[in-house]
Amino acid sequence: MGISELWATYGGMYLQALLTTWAMTAVSYVIAMALAVLITVMRVCPIRPLRVLGDFYVQVFRNIAGICLLIIIVYALPNLGLTLPYRTCVIVATVLLVSAFGSENFMSGINTIGIGQIEAARSIGLGFSQTLRLVVIPQALRSAVLPMTNLAIACLLTTAIGSQVPLSPPELTGLVSYINTRTTGGIATFLISALGYVGTALVIGFVGNRIDRKVRILR
Amino acid sequence: MSSEQNTGSEVAGQVPMIELRHVEKHFGDLHVLRDINLKVGKGEVLVVIGPSGSGKSTMCRTINRLETIDSGEILIDGKPLPEEGRELAAARAELGMVFQSFNLFAHRTILDNVTMGPIEVQGVPRKEAEESAMALLERVGVAEQAAKVPAQLSGGQQQRVAIARSLAMHPKAMMFDEPTSALDPEMINEVLEVMVELARGGMTMVVVTHEMSFARRVANRVVFMADGTIMEEGSPDEFFDHPTTERARDFLDSIKGH
Repeated sequence: MGISELWATYGGMYLQALLTTWAMTAVSYVIAMALAVLITVMRVCPIRPLRVLGDFYVQVFRNIAGICLLIIIVYALPNLGLTLPYRTCVIVATVLLVSAFGSENFMSGINTIGIGQIEAARSIGLGFSQTLRLVVIPQALRSAVLPMTNLAIACLLTTAIGSQVPLSPPELTGLVSYINTRTTGGIATFLISALGYVGTALVIGFVGNRIDRKVRILR
Repeated sequence: MSSEQNTGSEVAGQVPMIELRHVEKHFGDLHVLRDINLKVGKGEVLVVIGPSGSGKSTMCRTINRLETIDSGEILIDGKPLPEEGRELAAARAELGMVFQSFNLFAHRTILDNVTMGPIEVQGVPRKEAEESAMALLERVGVAEQAAKVPAQLSGGQQQRVAIARSLAMHPKAMMFDEPTSALDPEMINEVLEVMVELARGGMTMVVVTHEMSFARRVANRVVFMADGTIMEEGSPDEFFDHPTTERARDFLDSIKGH
């Protein structure tokens, strides 16, 4: 089967798969960013157990392959009485992974600020949470735009772990397996999905660069 | 002795604005502050001078607890400096601090840098805070830069904004930690002029600096530190013209050399 024939037969399913990939990416990324801020605040707060917990979280989820995480969530959690829908499992695995890397990006954003500004904030009487809210987090967010853009693309690609569980409708990678067990599309089947990923990644990159140029802090 | 009697701290019955009693501090094995005892009277301008590593910056920074101390006491207007929490934040709000490297908030405009403290700490309404901030920026001569961000200003302008940011809190006293050391030579005077004006206006000031002209013009007293101790103190003329210790003489020779 050639590309045009594949598209004629499965075009609707490809579009649906693209939407599924987009939806899972968007939901995962938004939750992961919120979680990354929270984890990062824990990692810089004055309470030691919270700092340790934050670091532990990052070390654990940064160092597990997404597919392993998904298998644990899908097959191990039900034994603990927690059975989630497949789609939720994929999102949870992606969120855990992406939030760990996101927190690392925020940490390096914080490290660009320099102790001097934090001392200046304290000197005018700002407390810990005010310093964080007014001085540290806004600058960390703004200087993390480019790495977070890369992470958004990584998040998009990570949702491909959804191909390993029976999603309905399947996402872009899962659809390839679905089609190739029914016809002999070969590499062409992959190619159409790949175009979906590449196109999306280009848009994310473009938007990220625009945002970065707008919010970048002059130093 | 007559000049010492003129200093604020010597006025009978008056509580000093800043008082350090038997302050000790170590950085690991390094003994950076050794039994520091110092009083700064209300309205007094104290200049702290000394070679690098003498502990002068560290001492300056202990006054608003940017550096903690191992033992001893620090009193602000007769009250012990709180160790942490809201009380410490409140105490810091009443003490201005100007740093060597300006430390303006890089992501905020000049105006926002000056209004942040009043709005967030003292609850001043934004409009009112902006009006007083503009008046302060006018006073230090950078009002026309209000809408820019710090990186668009010269070092001298940034340091004057930093002074305005401290003044916006209506501090009881101000500390200056080598405020002109990071500046190009042609910008030093514009900052010193602002500081001279402040001193003449009656602000209590602790200034870590090597600017002898500034010290001679406005300091009530000069303190010379070396190896974590106060080696010598006196009026600027006394100290610069007739230093009594060998260390002070050597140090003064070395900075007069260039």
